[in-house]
Amino acid sequence: MTDELDLIDAAKSGSVIAFTELVRSYRERLLRFLLTRCESYADAEDALQDTFINAYRYLQSYDSRWRFSTWLYRIAIRNAARLQTDHVAELGELRDEESDPLKLCIADSECENLWQSARRLLSDEVYTAMWLRYVEDMSIKDVAVVLDRSNSWTKVNLLRGRRALEAELNRDQQTNESEAYG
Amino acid sequence: MDKLARQLREDAANINVEVSAELDDRIRASLHGITPERARESEAPQRPRSTWWASSLTGIAAVTIVIVLLNLNQPEPPVVLITTPPGNIFQPQLIINPAVMTAPLRKELENLEADLKKAEQAVRKEIGLFP
Repeated sequence: MTDELDLIDAAKSGSVIAFTELVRSYRERLLRFLLTRCESYADAEDALQDTFINAYRYLQSYDSRWRFSTWLYRIAIRNAARLQTDHVAELGELRDEESDPLKLCIADSECENLWQSARRLLSDEVYTAMWLRYVEDMSIKDVAVVLDRSNSWTKVNLLRGRRALEAELNRDQQTNESEAYG
Repeated sequence: MDKLARQLREDAANINVEVSAELDDRIRASLHGITPERARESEAPQRPRSTWWASSLTGIAAVTIVIVLLNLNQPEPPVVLITTPPGNIFQPQLIINPAVMTAPLRKELENLEADLKKAEQAVRKEIGLFP
C-alpha cells in the first residue's frame, strides 16, 4: 500500500513511469470487471483505456483518504455506462448471447459461472456491488462510495443479491444431485 | 469466508482475461500524450489582513463620492416667494379710544340706576314710608 501511495505521489508529480506501474497492477482486475459490464471485448478494452487516461488526467483530484481502487472503479463504471448508452443509442437492445464477452472468457465447466447467473438475476448496480464486495474485498462504505449510494442501500442490496445467488446455487446443486442419482 | 463468497471469488478468477501487448502499447502511448490537469487553485486566494482594511476604506470613499455627486447634480428645490399683499386692498384703520367704545354702556347703566331709584320711591310712597 505504501508502494502504491509512493507511485501515486510520483504520478501526481508527472511521472508517467510511476503511473504505468499502477496501470500494470490494476489492468487485469479492471478488465475482468469491465468484461462483465460491456457489450464486447473491444468495448471493455476501450473502457479500460479510457479509465486509465481519465485517471491520469485527473489524478490531482484523487483523495488519498479513499483506496485508489475505489476511485479507479468509479471512473471505470462511468466509462462502461457511457459506452453502454452509446451502444443502445446506436443499435438498440441487441445483446447477442454468442458474442457475450463474459461467456467467451469463461472456461467450459459443468456449472454455470456464478457471475453469469448474477448478471442474469441482478441489476447492474447490485451486480457491481456484489463484485466490489466479494472480488475486490471492498468495505460496505467503499462500495457505497463507488456506487454513489448510501451505506444502508448498499447493505440491503448486497443481502438481496446474496439471497438471489444462494437460491441459484442451491438450485444448481439440487439439479446436479438429481442428475447424478438418475 | 462463507460458501457463496468463496464461490464468487473462484468464479471471478475463472474469467480469463489477458491484456494484449497491443492494448498495453495503446494505453502507454495515450498516457504520454496527456497533460495532467493541475489541481484547481482555490478560487479565493488568501489575502493579508491589511487588504481588508484597504478595501473597506475604498468602499466607504466610493459611497461618499457617489452621495456627493448625486446631491450636486440634483436640481434645487423651487423657491416659494412670499409676496406682500398689494396696496389697493382695503384695510380699515382701527385707531379708536377705548373710552369712546364704553361710553354708551355707561350711559345705559346710569339710566337703569335712575329708573331703579324712581321705582323705589314709588314703592315707598305706596306703603306710606316717606323719607
